Amino acid sequence: MAPSHTVRILDGNTFVVSEATGDIEATPTEPTGLFSIDTRFLSKWVLTINGERLNALSYDDLQYFESRFFLVPGLATHYVDAKLSIIRERAVGGSFRESITILNHDEKAVDLEIRMDAAADFADLFEVKDEILNKKGESYAEAEPDQLRLGYRRGNFRRETLISSSEPASYDRNGFSYQVHLEPNEQWDTDIHVRTHALGPGGRDLRIGLRVHGTERLALQHDLEEWIAKAPKVNSEHGELCSTYRRCLVDLAALRFAPLSLGGQTLPAAGLPWFMTMFGRDSILTCLQTLPFTPELSATTLRILAALQGTRFDDFREEDPGRILHEMRYGESAAFEEQPHSPYYGSVDATPLFVILLDEYERWSGDAALVKELEQECRRALHWIDDCADLVGNGYIWYERRNTDNGLENQCWKDSWDSISYADGSLPPFPRATCEVQGYAYDAKIRAARLARRFWDDPAYAEQLEREAAQLKERFNRDWWVADGGYYALALDPDGRQCDVLSSNIGHLLWSGIVAEDRAEQVAAHLVGDRLFSGWGVRTLAEGEVRYNPIGYHNGTVWPFDTSFCAWGLRRYGFAEEAATIASGILDAARYFDGRLPEAFGGYRREQTKFPVEYPTACSPQAWSTGAPLLLLRTMLGLEPHEGHLAVEPRLPVGMGRIEVLDIPGRWGRVDAFARGRLDLHKLAG
Amino acid sequence: MAEATVRFFEDLDQQGYEPLLAKLSGTLRFDLHEGPQTMHWLVRIDRGQIRVSREDMEADAVVGSSPGLFEDLVTGRENGLAALLRGDMTITGDARLIVQLDRIFPGPPHSVGPHRYRKGVR
Repeated sequence: MAPSHTVRILDGNTFVVSEATGDIEATPTEPTGLFSIDTRFLSKWVLTINGERLNALSYDDLQYFESRFFLVPGLATHYVDAKLSIIRERAVGGSFRESITILNHDEKAVDLEIRMDAAADFADLFEVKDEILNKKGESYAEAEPDQLRLGYRRGNFRRETLISSSEPASYDRNGFSYQVHLEPNEQWDTDIHVRTHALGPGGRDLRIGLRVHGTERLALQHDLEEWIAKAPKVNSEHGELCSTYRRCLVDLAALRFAPLSLGGQTLPAAGLPWFMTMFGRDSILTCLQTLPFTPELSATTLRILAALQGTRFDDFREEDPGRILHEMRYGESAAFEEQPHSPYYGSVDATPLFVILLDEYERWSGDAALVKELEQECRRALHWIDDCADLVGNGYIWYERRNTDNGLENQCWKDSWDSISYADGSLPPFPRATCEVQGYAYDAKIRAARLARRFWDDPAYAEQLEREAAQLKERFNRDWWVADGGYYALALDPDGRQCDVLSSNIGHLLWSGIVAEDRAEQVAAHLVGDRLFSGWGVRTLAEGEVRYNPIGYHNGTVWPFDTSFCAWGLRRYGFAEEAATIASGILDAARYFDGRLPEAFGGYRREQTKFPVEYPTACSPQAWSTGAPLLLLRTMLGLEPHEGHLAVEPRLPVGMGRIEVLDIPGRWGRVDAFARGRLDLHKLAG
Repeated sequence: MAEATVRFFEDLDQQGYEPLLAKLSGTLRFDLHEGPQTMHWLVRIDRGQIRVSREDMEADAVVGSSPGLFEDLVTGRENGLAALLRGDMTITGDARLIVQLDRIFPGPPHSVGPHRYRKGVR
């Protein structure tokens, strides 16, 4: 079965990925299972009746935390014996619960052996795509009278899965079973409870005191309803826009994640299934996208990232004083330092983005207290930019990994190994500096200057930051401009040579404000031009470049999040029609995914494929793809906090019809925004 | 024995204020167990103001570790969060306190920090 047919439910970082029958049989190519804190607690969960596997008639994803499967005995290739039907209903909420209902439709009584095979390999999330062969610890399975205990122990590191049932079952080391006699039209039910334990030597779970909300189904349902009720309402003649918006809100709720030991505050995790953890970059960019709709995520994200800001030099984790973390993990490989994620700091953009988010958040919320609370963290972040990140000593942010075993080579958002190249396709040496990060540094300084003047009572620091920003802008426009192409280079090598390919990164430069006014028009023209704009969105790398590949991860695919920031940048420099053009491309694409945009899709021309081709192993839902439609709405409506009120300056394409966004929260209380599509985009394209 | 641990806590007490803990208030007791013996250190934090004593009294968070592991933590040879995940260090009570205090432990002794680039020197 293809991965896209797996059924996923989740709550925080506990989630279940199963086949359409509800069964779990993990293999390296089909990494299904019950996962929590980056560990697989069930790798096998197979229901049989009288030794026979079941066949799915249908399944429902009821909510993100629950699903239901309708099954009959026998495999799909066999004659389907519909005299028995089986309903599996499951939910995650801290633990995993499954109820099984069996109905006998026959006119005769039946005797059934109902069996669940259960096993746990306790694979670390980093190893689920490998054959799990040489675990360093020992596994155990204990069948007790009223439960099955599956466990894994390595020194003091212990993880356990405890399985129990409301109906008496007989447990063995490989699962449990029931002998059931059913009269005609009789029904049988049981509730199975699977608890995951991460135990220290005292037997205490690491996660105690962490719950964001109650873990019962009703509490989860209530929490989701409250989340949706609190967010602004979107009404539109373009009905699919409303359903996309609702999908995004629900997915954002699902992706909320409370890191261990930080008091239950939540931030957006990066994405299901492999990134249900905190990522500095992804969490911050998602907050920036969603500020007008779910501003509370920003405050907690800032606090959590501040609480884990780097304080010392650690070459394994690539930690520096002032650096904002890249990724946190809780599995065995992080615990035993086989991977550096405890946490890992290897990104260069999260630190300036942290400062940007704080300022943007204050402009919306008016939360001066948080700006004061995080003053020292902001100053440390800015110091990191000037000191630790400037490896070449010429005033730019550079990166070169210090952890050469498993650190990231490219520490920007395009973090695959071949994402940064010269026009001839060859890869530059290290250290490298990518353009968008210089833009972020510029913006961080400009924004921090505002904070210093207005909230930190330090006008001298504000002036210093503005001076530095102005110098950076001048220097950048000299060193990075590719004169014969009319755009900015993707990166510089340490000798100052340009990686002179045309890439989507120039859109982030517009967003940051580092682009010289007289060059903005050329940059804007590229973003909606044939080489970058596919018709659905902006390609990561332009068609015609040596490394361009429509399904190259960072070398030609379209990332909805990336395009959403390009749109914001276009709008910032006054290119409202261009912004609306690429925004409507992404919103059109969203319709093909029922409102849930994947991480990336192919860079093929829209006329060529007629529908957006999903990138093969794209992660979904993914936080910053989920945030993209929200940022695009903001961009098209021209929502901008301005001197204590919300300015609205809509520029919508004709096809969008009328859009209203009601109850937008902020320092103004709650206000409504109305817009009507008036732009004829075909005129622009022509 | 446990020299670095003693120095760590004495320095912390003398320092009196730690800006990295400015947002933190609470009491944190370290129980360093070895066989039947347990050494106690009590750290009181009041918005970054710190006092350290050897009292064994109730605290908002209690951290358990071997004296050997703790020596390694305060000299940067071991990492606090990894030790927590491994179960080698335990925490009961308000876990935020140890996650924050961990930030004042030093980095690994062999870590050199950013690799400054000099043309021709690679």
